[in-house]
Amino acid sequence: MISEANFSFVADLLRRETAMLCETGKEYLVEARLLPLARAAGDADVDRYVDRLRTDAAERARAVDALTINETSWFRDLAPYQAFTEVMLPHLLQTRAHRRHLDIWSAACSSGQEAYSLCMLLDENLPAGWTATIHATDVSPSMLERVQAGRYSQVEMNRGMPATRLVSYFTRVGNEWEVAAKLRSMVTTKQVNLALPFPPSATYDVVFLRNVLIYFDLDTKRDILRRVNARVARDGFLLLGSTETTLDLDDSWVRETAGRVVIHRPRPDGPHGTAAAAAPRAITTPTTLTATGA
Amino acid sequence: MSTSTAELSMTHVHAVVEEVWTTFLGGGDPLYEIAPPTDRDPAEQGSVWDAAITVTGAWQAAIVICLPDGVADAVTRAMLGFAPEDHLAPEDLIDALGELVNVIGGNIKSLMPGPSKLSLPLVARGPISPSTSLVEACRLDLGWGPHSLRVVVSVPADQDRDQQAEEA
Amino acid sequence: MHALIIDDSRTMRTILRRIVTELGYEVTEAGNGQEALDALETGIDVDLCLIDWNMPLMDGYTFVTRVRAEPRWRSMTLMMVTTESEHGQIVRALAAGAHEYVIKPFTPEAIVEKLELLGLAAREVPA
Repeated sequence: MISEANFSFVADLLRRETAMLCETGKEYLVEARLLPLARAAGDADVDRYVDRLRTDAAERARAVDALTINETSWFRDLAPYQAFTEVMLPHLLQTRAHRRHLDIWSAACSSGQEAYSLCMLLDENLPAGWTATIHATDVSPSMLERVQAGRYSQVEMNRGMPATRLVSYFTRVGNEWEVAAKLRSMVTTKQVNLALPFPPSATYDVVFLRNVLIYFDLDTKRDILRRVNARVARDGFLLLGSTETTLDLDDSWVRETAGRVVIHRPRPDGPHGTAAAAAPRAITTPTTLTATGA
Repeated sequence: MSTSTAELSMTHVHAVVEEVWTTFLGGGDPLYEIAPPTDRDPAEQGSVWDAAITVTGAWQAAIVICLPDGVADAVTRAMLGFAPEDHLAPEDLIDALGELVNVIGGNIKSLMPGPSKLSLPLVARGPISPSTSLVEACRLDLGWGPHSLRVVVSVPADQDRDQQAEEA
Repeated sequence: MHALIIDDSRTMRTILRRIVTELGYEVTEAGNGQEALDALETGIDVDLCLIDWNMPLMDGYTFVTRVRAEPRWRSMTLMMVTTESEHGQIVRALAAGAHEYVIKPFTPEAIVEKLELLGLAAREVPA
């Protein structure tokens, strides 16, 4: 079992990073959550893994994530999805009228809740004759298999799925719920390690890159944002997690606020422009989006 | 009604129990399947609690969960958020175990074709035997830390015969 | 904000009470649908009902239909919290006028997220 000193190190880390408390008596929980990570990092036991945490920031982020039982919710944080339907989609329906198709990237898609949440919004809001593809990518092949299967446990379904959408888009299969075929057919999957050069892909109209940059060190974060910038349509959108930002990381983005959400858009004067980052500005109507902060 | 779709899968029952268990008790010790006990029979670990519920309608069944004292106590404390030093009254155990079998029973019911209705739970210290017209359709012996517990689903003999005939 | 928790299990009422109290709710408990109607008849001002399905005397489904038939209770939000998890049962409850549906077992986050969907829990604004 984890040593007392190491347990209090982990408890302090958790309190500092998430304000979550991890009290004495939860040693078994810390042990159970960190052991798989210790194995993955090549450490013989959790104590040796905690020694690694003392010097490795990226590993600390992974450990914090594992300790916070970060189960993915449907429509996670709500506001980004509101911004999607109320701000981004109306804009794209105007500017993509010629091709009537949208390409959306769900990067680090995990078990697919984000991808299928977007599918539901598109199913409800895309006009007739329009199509959309959600390109779901993850580093983990087993996660991609889960996305393709589109099956979720009862406990997963409880997490943020509105009951009306549960009954319209899911059917029960044994003890799980299966997402409707018409939504599954909108999603393609591909294994992508964000830290490595991306394979060839479409230019995306919208990129959801939420709650994943925290796993990487500063240089990798910068590099990922730079490479994502090249894959986003010049008038497209990037969404990060609610606590993440491109500020001080990459100046090739313009930040705009929509309600409580910050939307990132490629800087119009080309990637990695020299102008100073624009201050966040409010988006009042979709049409104001065409004038970016120059 | 096709009985092949009405087959009660042991794997699904296990998944249901596991899901209810970890949700109520947090991500601590997992449940693991054990061989039908010889020396670990819950009935032989001192006194036991039985919690039972019945399903009537398109599918009929009795679901009984058998828990030794130690498990019943731990589950009740976890569900009610009681500290180890807090006193547990028998009414606390009866209420918490009743809700446990209600949630497990409801989720098992939803594995089968409906419509069916769930009874109110019945909890007793000591064994609850389903009606003699029922036969055992699924028995799950589970280990939890040093303890063990058992979930038994019994169905009417003719319902079980139909299923076996379909499988044959 | 005031929540009425309707469940015949005291254990379940305790679990739910703990969750909504943390969100700042005042709580009234009822052991079945009839008790809940009686509580409402006393004139308490309830914003949210968390409703079990299977209960003695009056089940949660009947409670929902009774509440929806009363214009004076129209502003109350009704959320089923039940082990009934068939697709058809969820459809029935929504058709009868329930606003949301949580299937037991649930984690505390599931309740909070559903209340956020309903605009009945304030999401913390990230720093």
